Amino acid sequence: MVELAGVAKHYGAVRAVRGIDLTIRRGESIALLGRNGAGKSTSIGILLGLLPPSEGRVRLFGGSPEAAVRSGRLGAMLQEGALITRVTVRELVAFVAGTYPRPLPVAETLELAGLTELAGRRADRLSGGQAQRLRFALAMAGGPELVVLDEPTAALDVEARREFWSAMRSYAARGNTVLFSTHYLEEADENADRIVVIDKGRKVADGTGEEIKRVVGGNVVAFDLGDRSSEGLELLPGVTSVEIRRGRAYLRSADSDATVLALAGRGDVRNLEVRVSRLEDAFVALTRAAREDREEAVV
Amino acid sequence: MLTSIALELRRTARDTAFLIFGVALPVVMYLLFTNIGGGDGDGTGHDTSTMIGMAAYGALGAALANGTGVAEDRGRGWLRQLRITPLTPLQVVGARAVTGSLVVLPSIVAVLGAGFLVNGVRMPLLRALALVAVLWLGTLPFTLLGLGNGYRLSAQSTGMVNTAASMGLSIIGGLWFPLSAFPHWFGEVASWTPTNRFAQLGWDVAEGALPAVGAVAVLAGWFAVFGGYAASAYRKSTHTR
Repeated sequence: MVELAGVAKHYGAVRAVRGIDLTIRRGESIALLGRNGAGKSTSIGILLGLLPPSEGRVRLFGGSPEAAVRSGRLGAMLQEGALITRVTVRELVAFVAGTYPRPLPVAETLELAGLTELAGRRADRLSGGQAQRLRFALAMAGGPELVVLDEPTAALDVEARREFWSAMRSYAARGNTVLFSTHYLEEADENADRIVVIDKGRKVADGTGEEIKRVVGGNVVAFDLGDRSSEGLELLPGVTSVEIRRGRAYLRSADSDATVLALAGRGDVRNLEVRVSRLEDAFVALTRAAREDREEAVV
Repeated sequence: MLTSIALELRRTARDTAFLIFGVALPVVMYLLFTNIGGGDGDGTGHDTSTMIGMAAYGALGAALANGTGVAEDRGRGWLRQLRITPLTPLQVVGARAVTGSLVVLPSIVAVLGAGFLVNGVRMPLLRALALVAVLWLGTLPFTLLGLGNGYRLSAQSTGMVNTAASMGLSIIGGLWFPLSAFPHWFGEVASWTPTNRFAQLGWDVAEGALPAVGAVAVLAGWFAVFGGYAASAYRKSTHTR
């Protein structure tokens, strides 16, 4: 239902998006994962029809983004955007719902967003988390088939973030398609069926959280190197990559037990630590690999 | 579009600044000007002409303030949010224009009400209704000016520009003090201002005459100028955000 093909966006010499292909199927929850400035918001702006792409093609429901917006099949929560003054939560939700041909009942939207208690409150007098849930309510008020959320939890505290995702998951659980962007890896892992990793305007990975972790593989074994040489570490059993930071060695290993035994044999066990590979590590590895590929390609 | 208008009207009614500066202030100024500064508030010509001047001033302020609201909403990213609803851009601007033309009515009715009830101004009912009608229609150029500023300028500068415009245009248009109190050349300039011609519609009708052709022509000219300004400001705003 969503198809980006070779989409690129240049601002003068700055290339914000350098050719992204993406297909989204009905009912999927997709996370667009990347650092600040990776090109997530630009990609979303293009997908929504707010920005014209410099190259490539966008199809939503078989037509243009504008047509999808006009027909009420799309709802979105943009990154910037404060709420207007002198309206209540319920009035605002009802207003946006009224612009769509087949909206959700207002009470249902408020319930889904956890705003029922706050329905009579002025929209500009909400806490950060409440305001964000209201903006989410506005994205789903019209009962759209696809909801797009650009960094929905930026600047929220842990509790507000938890409440937000619980609202989002109950909406997705109704069979709706959701695309959201984030730079929080745990959020992508916990709330999406599929993760698309974007770095420097390019897609560097596309798969489930499990798949992405598997690409990088295994655990990380770390220990203090001191003044000893790092030579030969990459040859130890299980080790797939070696990184030295401030006198400490980080070995990514497909078999951490074998690696630890081998290290013990060498006497390299100062401050030894084994930890499970987190998505964060996968992300760092993926984006670095993508950069190295390109640099090699240039050479 | 009707729901947009309803939403905007409701927001305006909750705007304390609008109620104070757009509705209450022109009434207070009217009563002060007619009852303290030499006038005696007995329904004389001075009471009527000042009544129309102040109603015009209030309506002008309200029409421009609508544009300040546009700039604020734009600054908050609300217009961008509306672009991803099924509303067409034309419906969004149209709703704002209609709102802008409706919010001037309370100012007009309040000042005229003070004239009739407090100062004892009298005129036939039909003429009074015609007066409301011309004052209402006459604000259209200012509604467009307000929208143009709202789409062109930041929220902060729109507020300042609109306040300066409403006071400046009111004074050189002779809405606050009759032009006879100024040097002759001032009147020459004033006759080309939209505000003076706007009030003239009211002054003519209050005397039982049809609005002067010159007044309608000058206002129509300003309507075209401000309309063009509003349209280009709107187009520019959609190119940026």
